[in-house]
Amino acid sequence: MAGKKYNTPLIDELEKGPWPSFVTEMKKAAKNNEMANDAVGHLEKCYSTRVGYWKHGGIVGVLGYGGGVIGRYSEIGNEFPGVAHFHTVRINQPSGFFYTSKALREICDIWDKYGSGLTNVHGSTGDLVLLGTKTDALEPIFAEYSSRGWDLGGSGSALRTPSCCVGPARCEWSNYDTLDLTYALTQEFQDELHRPTFSYKFKIKSSGCACDCVAALARADLSIIGTWKGDIKIDQSEVKNYAKTMDINAEIINMCPTGCMSYDGKELKINNAECNRCMHCITRMTKALKPSGERGATLCMGSKAPIVVGSLLSWVIVPFVKLEPPYTELKALIRKIWDWWDENGKPRERIGEVIEIKGMRSFLEAIGVPPQPQQIKEPRKDPFMFYTDDDIAAYKAKEAEEKKTKKYKF
Amino acid sequence: MALPQRKTDIGPPNYKQFLPPVIQKNYGKWKYHEVINPGSMVHVAESGDKLWTVRVASPRLLATDTIREHCDIADKYCDGFFRYTTRNNVEFLVSDEKKLEPLKKELKDKGFKMGGIGAGITNVVHTQGWVHCHSACTDASGIVKAMMDELYEYFESKRLPNKVRLAVACCVNMCGAVHCSDIAIVAVHTKVPTIAHENFKNMCELPTVIGSCPTRAISPDPAQKSVKINPEKCMYCGNCFTVCPPISIKDPERDGVAIVVGGKINSLRTNPKFSKLVIPYISNEPPRWPKVVAAVKHIIEVYAKNARKHERIGEWIERVGWERFFSLTGIDFTFQAIDDFTFMRDTLRTASTFKW
Amino acid sequence: MDINVLKDKIYAFSEAAKGKKKLKEKDIIKGISEAESADPAEVKKALREMIDVGKLMYSYGGGASSVEIPSEEYLREKGLIK
Repeated sequence: MAGKKYNTPLIDELEKGPWPSFVTEMKKAAKNNEMANDAVGHLEKCYSTRVGYWKHGGIVGVLGYGGGVIGRYSEIGNEFPGVAHFHTVRINQPSGFFYTSKALREICDIWDKYGSGLTNVHGSTGDLVLLGTKTDALEPIFAEYSSRGWDLGGSGSALRTPSCCVGPARCEWSNYDTLDLTYALTQEFQDELHRPTFSYKFKIKSSGCACDCVAALARADLSIIGTWKGDIKIDQSEVKNYAKTMDINAEIINMCPTGCMSYDGKELKINNAECNRCMHCITRMTKALKPSGERGATLCMGSKAPIVVGSLLSWVIVPFVKLEPPYTELKALIRKIWDWWDENGKPRERIGEVIEIKGMRSFLEAIGVPPQPQQIKEPRKDPFMFYTDDDIAAYKAKEAEEKKTKKYKF
Repeated sequence: MALPQRKTDIGPPNYKQFLPPVIQKNYGKWKYHEVINPGSMVHVAESGDKLWTVRVASPRLLATDTIREHCDIADKYCDGFFRYTTRNNVEFLVSDEKKLEPLKKELKDKGFKMGGIGAGITNVVHTQGWVHCHSACTDASGIVKAMMDELYEYFESKRLPNKVRLAVACCVNMCGAVHCSDIAIVAVHTKVPTIAHENFKNMCELPTVIGSCPTRAISPDPAQKSVKINPEKCMYCGNCFTVCPPISIKDPERDGVAIVVGGKINSLRTNPKFSKLVIPYISNEPPRWPKVVAAVKHIIEVYAKNARKHERIGEWIERVGWERFFSLTGIDFTFQAIDDFTFMRDTLRTASTFKW
Repeated sequence: MDINVLKDKIYAFSEAAKGKKKLKEKDIIKGISEAESADPAEVKKALREMIDVGKLMYSYGGGASSVEIPSEEYLREKGLIK
């Protein structure tokens, strides 16, 4: 290949050491690819000047879609023509990031033909990210991938590509089928994913238990966290085996947040009514302890990174739902949530911010969820609150009933 | 050559076709798993079937040829099936124990690094940085590489009281959502943006720009048909730059990184928590950011020495108190560590029961 | 309302906003359905058909998505004009 050979003393330093090097990857792609080669030179320049040269996204995409491609141009495209256009293509990953070699080779072959040969496996949201191509390659790329069963992921003011933990495919702790739910929701909401109609981005992430391996609670507008209603089953013979290598009182009993467990050196006991299902004991003694009873999830909402007015963790909205195909109730609830957001949100307001502005009551009433103590850490502190006429009428009616029955009902 | 016919709204391929037979058979029926060593674990199904997983480090940014190398290994040992993790490691899956040692040997011979399972340090969640992002004030991949070289023993072998989740965000947009990590590096701007007023009118919407500011530092500047920024209110978040390209915030001399610690995402023992600021500023020092790496390593070593088994960094700090964290680590306490944005009421101390 | 009439109205609405306001898809649906007393679902359908053939396009800028009239450059790239 007749590419320009860049002298890269700074980033060469990042090829040293035991951890696999992204610079080595870039140079590997650069051997056969002019775009990747210029990306190497471009990065060295950033390292020497300590500043980036990528411009704001431009208007690029595939016909009919409003997302899946992120426009990227360099301010110094004259110097590095291979990266003058360097757009990202997001490919919607399969649930749980499982692949076959055949499928991935096909993805690689197409990408080498039309793009830089550089990828992120995967991007933060979960898509398989193809880094760096030119505008005129976008339609051919889409035709090649979509004809082989791959679609684009989300970007812009749209539903972003849903993602999930490994779930029941390879984990004993999953309380619902995270892979199937993610696939079902992604298929259900194809229009919302490809055509940006929202005020801002909306992310859905599904974790099978409170370990939350996809960090749903920190970064998804809708965080679906698996849980159960029922007792933790104990296999006392396995407890005995753990006792040989573990100080059960120090490592399990004393670390239980609710103090609902005891161990007398022979038998482990759990007061299940007081358990808050945090998963500590189960993860440390997985052979001995297992949830039982009804399985499902807690629906939490609102988390996001700091922009604009500070980061949020998701709030508990629906303490428990069963999640079984075809997930009709959850799909309907999601549509109700979007309707409320659509009516109340201004451009670039995430749903958590809109809930903060409009109040949790407005949101819960709109989606038909009653107030429950599981939704809060503690009740309101200051006695500044809204009363509707209906609220007062209801409280008065309750008092009238009490007078009849001569029994208070708080 | 003619292009194939495009299809729209088909969604991702159904994951079921990518699951190896042992998973299809035992789907949802796993009984338990055991961590064999930081590079491998075995899952045992109710049926008695076993599935070994070998986890391999990845720089996340991969050349297609490296993905093909993963494919070659999967073809040779795993009937072509493998997966990636949410933290961008590669996992090779084998159901035949006889293949396990040969697989590990080949991975080792080819220079792949096995590790990352259990109470140590696994791959770092991070953003694009100078490699591909317009709003980056550092290079995320470079910091990750320098940091993981230094912390490599915790990936491969050495254990900690619990796992330590690391993350790097190249600006406060935090596309990696790093704000609930045990230790996160977040790149920061530190100067009020400048505005190319002559381009404002054509490229920006006034209400959008004013509304983008979390501290209400932006007001109209009718004389210039543009906006002005109040330097006493601006916290350099860069959101105005995101909505309005003529606003410029990049500054190679002043851009740097801050370090936040003590976040966690799972609900084990204690509730999920945000990471909190401990070091407000370290200069960008490419290519290997030595002071950033040293700071992270130092915090991990103090944690390893002082925390109880199973305590995450945030849980250890909450037990001993933040004042003790600062005295144990010797990190200077600064004005930046006192919240004056949205969490002041929740974070100031309201009792005299602190430690000396 | 006839879908082609709706499309003309949508196009005129988008043209009027050009260079003044970035229209969200919902601005168009709301604006047209109110002005023409049309069913929002029909407006959405008409809009979708226009976007599918490049009469309008999704755009992205200033951190948010919008809908606008495509440039000649875009139409040429998509092979919709020579």
